[in-house]
Amino acid sequence: MKAPSPVVVGPTCEAILRSDLPLLPDERRTIVIEFVGRRLLDLPMHMRYGVALIAIVVDGVRRSMGDDRVIALSRRPLPLIGEYFRLIRSLSFAYVWETWPDTQPDGGIA
Amino acid sequence: MTAVDFRCDVLVIGSGAGGAPTAALLAEAGLDVIVAEEGPWVDQGSVVPFSLEQMERQYRSGGVTVALGLPSVAYTEGRCAGGGTEVNSGLYRRPPAEVIDRWRTKWRIDDLEPDDIDVLAREVEAELSVQTLPGPPSAPSERLRLGAERLGWRHDESPRWMTYPTKDARAGQRQSMTRTYLPRSTNAGARILTQCRVDRLELRGDRVESAAVTFDDGRRATIGCRAAIVCAGAIQSPALLQRSGIRRNIGNTLAVHPTVKLAARFGEELNVPDDVPVHQVKEFAPDLSFGGSASHPGLVALALLDQWDDFGNSVTAWREIAVYYAAITSEGRGRVISVPGLRDPIVTYHLTRRDRALLRAGLSRLALLLLEAGATDVFPSYRGAPRIRSTRDLAKIEQTFSANKASVMTVHLCSTVPMGEDRDRCGADSHGRIHGFRNLFVNDASLLPDAPGVNPQGSVMAVALRNARHFLAEEWTRV
Repeated sequence: MKAPSPVVVGPTCEAILRSDLPLLPDERRTIVIEFVGRRLLDLPMHMRYGVALIAIVVDGVRRSMGDDRVIALSRRPLPLIGEYFRLIRSLSFAYVWETWPDTQPDGGIA
Repeated sequence: MTAVDFRCDVLVIGSGAGGAPTAALLAEAGLDVIVAEEGPWVDQGSVVPFSLEQMERQYRSGGVTVALGLPSVAYTEGRCAGGGTEVNSGLYRRPPAEVIDRWRTKWRIDDLEPDDIDVLAREVEAELSVQTLPGPPSAPSERLRLGAERLGWRHDESPRWMTYPTKDARAGQRQSMTRTYLPRSTNAGARILTQCRVDRLELRGDRVESAAVTFDDGRRATIGCRAAIVCAGAIQSPALLQRSGIRRNIGNTLAVHPTVKLAARFGEELNVPDDVPVHQVKEFAPDLSFGGSASHPGLVALALLDQWDDFGNSVTAWREIAVYYAAITSEGRGRVISVPGLRDPIVTYHLTRRDRALLRAGLSRLALLLLEAGATDVFPSYRGAPRIRSTRDLAKIEQTFSANKASVMTVHLCSTVPMGEDRDRCGADSHGRIHGFRNLFVNDASLLPDAPGVNPQGSVMAVALRNARHFLAEEWTRV
């Protein structure tokens, strides 16, 4: 287990972005997901292991129970798993508003 | 890959606030110095300050590093030539005399006199052009000053290591290590090896013989030396010592200034994306102090994120919003633990009950200050936070805040190899020599016995100069 693979994190990140920022254009969403994947590869090694483990569990939940269940999970203050969602959201939101500062709260273009 | 070997008198590991002054003084004294720096050389001005690009290029792990705990404490480390001095706000505080006194007596540190440190601090200030603004402060800084003024709270402007070609504060040029002590080092003959990670120190008995290093391109090398001075910062210095088999009193006493944040919205555009406020509020110091943070739109979004459903609508008004922090002097401690097989150390931090209460009080008082300064809305950064519009709302912070729900972070990391003559508690002696070794030293923030309650890099540099001079006068001929 070397790193949280973008293949595993990507769909969860996409589900969160579709829920939190529903009007974020597809091409921007793709760029944000790529950025989050890159940043996770830079994490310190023990964090990468931890994130990879949680990512696999969350992706399993997403595959078996659907995006809505993952979104509901992401809004609960759970230890560890909650930190995973917070990490994805923090990286995503920081990137969105630094790159496109006039983005609307729903992700739409001003 | 071909092995390359180097030899030198003194190997300085790290080029930040501890390593750069050390290298400069030793090279100017005629010693053959190599500085091994893990990160790249990035010229000042070539990246936008506080941007994601800067985090990618000049911070360790892109700025995403965490001390594990409940709550976890996010921290950042510079990873570039010049270290943290290249990427921080450049705010400077002279080491407080009472802190130096406390360190000397409580940790049994020889030759640590406030007056002597004061002289060294003035030397640092001259070298780095430490000064206050030549003109008016930025609007977010002025708001902080105004709020404190109206409440009658003690406040001042923190000087910075900057030069100002004009009266415009935003035209200031940071006088970080790549502009000051590192050029002095190379002018005196020091060699700086960038993108060169020291994997471990090779020890024989009570001596370090050499360092095994790996360059970013995969080349491995050995650097032989008569003495090694580890200046890789409060996380990486203990991690390297532990990787090399040295663990006694190393990495067990991490001290930080934990901070919590809030965003404040005013009825006018005031955001300055690429700079930070210079005013700080010291009414409750050293336990508690307030200041301003970088506030580019991405960081405003982050400050609103914990309560996005309620606060998110305000992100479009980011030009009217600035981010502020409340920092505490913590009683808690953390650990740096190097685990075989893991490249990066595991870092932990534990907040005490008193720390948690201080963070709550700090956030509440900071919100009060910003209301006094004219904020129309204050958005504390924790899950379940209320929007604060008047002083009547402040009680809600007291009722709902919990450190476990907050985004706690820090940029001030110290004390992982405390100096002093008490061998039961200290990893290094009064001048940074590792106890039990003849030619192995530490000279960075790791040596400060606790977090000083002010921006620590002034203290780090003054102590570094002190120890480097002691090394030249007393140690070099013996190593």
